[in-house]
Amino acid sequence: MNEAVTLRGVTKTFQTGTSALSPVDLAIAAGSFVSLVGPSGCGKSTLLRMIAGLLDPSGGEIARAWTAGPQGIGFVFQDATLMPWANVAKNVSLPLEIAGLPHDGVAEAIARVGLEGFAQSYPRELSGGMRMRASIARAIVAKPSVLLMDEPFAALDEFTRFRLNDDLLALWQANRWTVIFVTHSIREAVFLSERVIVMSPRPGRVVADMPILFSQPRAAALRNDHAFTDVCARVGAALGEAQAA
Amino acid sequence: MRRLLPLLFGVVVLALWEAAVRLNNVPEYIVPGPIAILRALGKDGADLLAGLVVTLEVTVAALLLAVLTGGGFAFLLAQSRLAEQTLFPYAVFLQVTPIVTIAPFVIIWVPNVFVVLLILAWMAAVFPILSNTLLGLKSADANLRDLFRLYGASRWQTARRLLLPSALPYFLGGFRISGGLALIGTVVAEMVAGTSGTRSGLASRLLEASYRLELARAMACFVLLSAAGFAIYWLLDILSRRLLRHWHESAKDT
Ligand SMILES: Nc1ncnc2c1ncn2[C@@H]1O[C@H](COP(=O)(O)OP(=O)(O)O)[C@@H](O)[C@H]1O
Ligand SMILES: [Mg+2]
Repeated sequence: MNEAVTLRGVTKTFQTGTSALSPVDLAIAAGSFVSLVGPSGCGKSTLLRMIAGLLDPSGGEIARAWTAGPQGIGFVFQDATLMPWANVAKNVSLPLEIAGLPHDGVAEAIARVGLEGFAQSYPRELSGGMRMRASIARAIVAKPSVLLMDEPFAALDEFTRFRLNDDLLALWQANRWTVIFVTHSIREAVFLSERVIVMSPRPGRVVADMPILFSQPRAAALRNDHAFTDVCARVGAALGEAQAA
Repeated sequence: MRRLLPLLFGVVVLALWEAAVRLNNVPEYIVPGPIAILRALGKDGADLLAGLVVTLEVTVAALLLAVLTGGGFAFLLAQSRLAEQTLFPYAVFLQVTPIVTIAPFVIIWVPNVFVVLLILAWMAAVFPILSNTLLGLKSADANLRDLFRLYGASRWQTARRLLLPSALPYFLGGFRISGGLALIGTVVAEMVAGTSGTRSGLASRLLEASYRLELARAMACFVLLSAAGFAIYWLLDILSRRLLRHWHESAKDT
């Protein structure tokens, strides 16, 4: 199996003395959709930022199989994090601009997230869901091999979140990037992923690593399936055990 | 209707003023009425406008200099925390020192009157631009900074595409304040430096007229200077709204 990223004994202690992660060992297969769930403050964002290379681990090592720059990696934050002074097209083309890549593909990326007709709109003219779509378009515009997402839909209402989940899954089906997706919603994690990794409270470590075997492509109706609810309950139980321990 | 209220209020006050002056037979060299001031404006109009132009030349030059030096200096200080800690106190020194206390030295050291006025007006105007721009450069969104880093942006790319736009609303806020301060600085400098002759500014002319007890003319100077101050603020406000109109809360359509 081809690994997109491998973590060996990765720890993080901040200068403040906060120990955010106990040793984490984790290998993520190229092209897979993996979710990280865990209680708030357990170090999910810290782990994701270390995987991205935005933060150095205090111990252990991280081997990445992607190249630096927008063709290697895309990152989506909890807030859309758009440049308010630039319209959607300018925001989406930012990675290409920085890396000096040709700007074709901007219109396509905007279309793929369903924002046709809004290329010239400014962020403040868009709804929260549309801003998040623009943020995703920016992350995928250079066709990166790995996409890191840190609770991207947490601030959205449930209806918008479901639609974005469905659309994200369709995008992943079509492109098969590696996606590492942080969420605190168990249902979201189970619906989207091929694999759910459960973390303990701070200092975070991996307490459960569960394959999710529902076949792809997944339909929205899966959310009402008994089998789906059962899997969610098992992930929930693992999370509960980790918190009690 | 409500928009006319300030105007109406002003007219009533002027009318009361004129009435009080006439009823009490107050001589023009003690308190001139609005009509006498208007008459002075009409009679000496060309002369006073020439003075206003001189004053505004200094004001605008000082403001532009403040933008260049304040903005540039802020950019340098934003590059390093150490530089900021070392040098910012001296910028505060500029801000808290009353320029009249420095004027005598500048007048002795610098032979050219225009340059004297320019230096003093610049000293009055530079701090709001410097401190606001510095604050703006430092308040760029942390996640956007990370994104620029992730995509391998150069220092220059980060500055141009992230730091400068983030700082723009702050810079413009400082710019609007500095516009007024540049005018105040020029006026104070003119009064202290005591320029005279045809190339003298409106504030020197105001002072001269008051020495000669030509109070109507002096007040005409005052009216023109106030109007110029309003105009500067108004122009900078329009500029700021235009530049920010698509994206900043302060410039939301009204
Ligand atoms: N820059 C930092 N300095 C000090 N402590 C931090 C820093 N970033 C995060 N932490 C701490 O590390 C822990 C994990 O944070 P985070 O990774 O954001 O958690 P999560 O994303 O799972 O909610 C928290 O206790 C947080 O307060
Ligand atoms: Mg987090």
